[in-house]
Amino acid sequence: METTSKRLVLENVSKHFGSLVAVKDAHLVVEPGEFVCFLGPSGCGKTTLLRIITGFEQATSGSIIYDGRIINDVIPQKRQFGIVFQSYALFPNMTVSQNIAFGLKMRKMPPKLIEERVSAMLQLVGLTEWATHYPSQLSGGQQQRVALGRAIAIEPKVLLLDEPLSALDAKIRLRLRTVIKKLQEELGITMIYVTHDQEEALALADRVVIMRDGEFRQIGTPWEIYKEPKSSFIAEFVGTSNFMTGTRQNGKVKFGQLALTVSNMEAVPSEKVHLAIRPEKIEWVDVTIPAADCVPSNIVEVTAEVINFLGAVVRITFILEGEEMIVDLPEKEFERTSIQRRETMRLYFPPDAFHVYGEMFRKLI
Amino acid sequence: MSDAARANALTTSYEVSALRMEIDKFIVPAVTLVIGLLLCFFMLFPLSSILQLSFFKDGQFGLANFTLANFQKYFTTSYTLNALWHSLYVSFATTIIVTIIIFFFAYAMTRTTIRGKPFFRNVIMMPLVAPSIVQALALIYLFGRNGLITAHLLQTGWNIYGATGIIVSEVLYCLPHAFVILYTTLSAVDIRLDEAAESLGASPFKVFTRITIPSAKYGIFSAAALTFNLTITDFGNPVVIGADYNVLATEIYSQVTNLYRFDLGATISIILLVPSLMAFMLNYYISRKTFAMISGAAQPVIPPSRPLKKIGYSLYCGLIAFCIILIFATVIIGSFVKIWPYDWSLTFGHYRFPSIGGYAAIWTSVWVSLIVGICGAFITLVAGYVMETRKPFFKQGLYLLAVMPAAIPGLVMGLGYILAFNKPYYIFYGTPWIIVINIVICNFTLGILSSISNLRNIDPSIEEASISLGGDTLRTFFKIIFPLSRVAFFQNFVYFFMRSMTTISAVVFLVSATVHLAAIEIIMLDNDGWTASANAMCTCIIVIVLFMLGILQVVAKKTGRGAEGSMAEV
Repeated sequence: METTSKRLVLENVSKHFGSLVAVKDAHLVVEPGEFVCFLGPSGCGKTTLLRIITGFEQATSGSIIYDGRIINDVIPQKRQFGIVFQSYALFPNMTVSQNIAFGLKMRKMPPKLIEERVSAMLQLVGLTEWATHYPSQLSGGQQQRVALGRAIAIEPKVLLLDEPLSALDAKIRLRLRTVIKKLQEELGITMIYVTHDQEEALALADRVVIMRDGEFRQIGTPWEIYKEPKSSFIAEFVGTSNFMTGTRQNGKVKFGQLALTVSNMEAVPSEKVHLAIRPEKIEWVDVTIPAADCVPSNIVEVTAEVINFLGAVVRITFILEGEEMIVDLPEKEFERTSIQRRETMRLYFPPDAFHVYGEMFRKLI
Repeated sequence: MSDAARANALTTSYEVSALRMEIDKFIVPAVTLVIGLLLCFFMLFPLSSILQLSFFKDGQFGLANFTLANFQKYFTTSYTLNALWHSLYVSFATTIIVTIIIFFFAYAMTRTTIRGKPFFRNVIMMPLVAPSIVQALALIYLFGRNGLITAHLLQTGWNIYGATGIIVSEVLYCLPHAFVILYTTLSAVDIRLDEAAESLGASPFKVFTRITIPSAKYGIFSAAALTFNLTITDFGNPVVIGADYNVLATEIYSQVTNLYRFDLGATISIILLVPSLMAFMLNYYISRKTFAMISGAAQPVIPPSRPLKKIGYSLYCGLIAFCIILIFATVIIGSFVKIWPYDWSLTFGHYRFPSIGGYAAIWTSVWVSLIVGICGAFITLVAGYVMETRKPFFKQGLYLLAVMPAAIPGLVMGLGYILAFNKPYYIFYGTPWIIVINIVICNFTLGILSSISNLRNIDPSIEEASISLGGDTLRTFFKIIFPLSRVAFFQNFVYFFMRSMTTISAVVFLVSATVHLAAIEIIMLDNDGWTASANAMCTCIIVIVLFMLGILQVVAKKTGRGAEGSMAEV
């Protein structure tokens, strides 16, 4: 049984490269057996933070604490943290078995035990029949499985994964994602997973840490982050959101010609109000049947510009007050609406579906 | 019980050895220190000995003894002063000729669709397999007082001895070195630039002068600087073909060997060091810019050249290839015919070497070269690994020390070795070991640069993976980095071997009554009038080096990587 003392704690960790601040005051407690994802765009400092935890980089200030002990000065070899790299980083001159055995040999484990452990690992990652192959003879997905087996073989106290799936194709990525999640749940390994793929983070993590410009912007379960993004940046980065900027007027938000009713507007005191709404929260309204409990001012009439079939949902692009927006309709509902391109449709923005922000994240595209 | 649970049930607490990790902390600093000290002791110390002897009265260090008398003597004696002008003249002439010739040659190899490019590329690299004396020997056979062409075909009294001979032989000697640089540069510059200019209506001449040449300018300067450096420091060719036309390198040798004026030899060494150091620094500065320009973009297909251009470049490259082949053919044939150019009957007689060294010298050269190859390749790989991957505290300083040998002429280094180590307590002095050390140090720069560029091709995550799994420095190096560098190691081995077999200037002062080397024997044989035997000795060296290159090809192919880079690395 794990005890709660085997926590990994980051205490006000900062990292400066000259004048550049790569990580700023990172504070986090990772519980034993927890799966934490660092999620952020490239250059946000997530990989640097991971490298500080592994010991390949030294924090400029702050402490890394494991099991109640500050480990800032412990060399990577002694930390016993497993690492899985984006580039797999298998030893090309060794077979699959030799790769997995490497960490055990470094620990002078008796050959008999190494053999047992390696074959257990091979079984675990489903590569038993590939034991004597070299990495170059394996597919990318298989190589990453070897890398996982190799890292897990040393019974890492924490397993750190640095964008492990980014180099793989979409299909294999999905399959391997399940493999990683299952391993984590069955073995109860504490995992820290770095990714820029929000979908991956939401699917895998117990908790997601959103990073930007070296700072933690929000920490929470995938559910919390998706439901209540703390900033417009997160609303945009995690999932998709439509944004509109309006001004406060008589308890409503004036957005172009529209006066939208928005719940919990008091959260933001400023005159200017930035609203975000998820595409799936926007509802289609039947023209013939008057909406029952709708706020009438939140119903708009728009033209469908582009219709994309994405499988289970249908994404319709429309222009509202000069802003391009999207609405996602479940495929079944779309069938009922039978909307065609260039046709008008009525949409409803539920007042409580809006997220209200005081600042606007500058979209790059 | 699930697989996973069973896997975890194996849990046993094996940890990395704490003692080993403690020791590991000292490995990198220790290796850095050892390499740094080696370079200081075997490079800076000999250099300082030369400085000491040239700037201080009787070589006695001390403020009161400081004197410029040696330099005054040098600059007031017209004969020795001439050596400087001669060296500069010959070097500038060679530099200009080589740069022009090789630019068009490299252009033909990279921008035209002429046939037989692999053949031309191999031929242009040929001079590397022989000592820088083969050109002079062949030119004398062809254009000397008794030359096949001058005396017999044209029946003129003109001969090639002197400045002309030095320039022609140096041109032929420097071609491969300059070619490697310009070939790399022109391959790296995007050919689509030319096409874009052409599509905008620029004439071919304008494209060439406005686009092609400017885009390769760093490569051109770099090749020129290298050629200048090679020419001014070369000893083998001028000593054979220079006759009375003395240059700095030959002057150092004759001051030391014939007149026993070590002080003047040291002084001339300093004078030689100045221009060669300047050329080196220029080259170093420029080549950094060149690398900044090289992009990893894929090479587009070269559009077919116009027929006239194709014929012209084919003839041009053919002519250059012919000259190089002629040189080698002359030396090799010359070693088998009875009396060049009178009696063409074949004989092995010249291979019964009349000198003391003879075959013993060849065997010494071979085993010295094998040791140089192994030691050089290994030390440069270790040094490259420590510097590039482990980033030690003293990295910048070590790097500076490591690139310095390329700036120091071999002859100067050799003289420095005599001055520094000719003491009874340096027991390696007078043995082949001092030659091994000297050659390794003299070629340290290229060795370490190619090691570093090879190590940069290894994914840094591999190193980190090893460390995170508990791998210490030694085991990471020997179990992972070294096996992954096998081909590069062997390429470096062949490079050191080749340099060791063919170098003359570095070791000419270090051979002794008991230690003979094949390359030096060539000079001795030629000096004593056994020119045909000198050719035979040359042929032996060529065959041995080619044999080693052949093995490299086989090894590289077996390991599954192309040997393409092997020559280019040189």
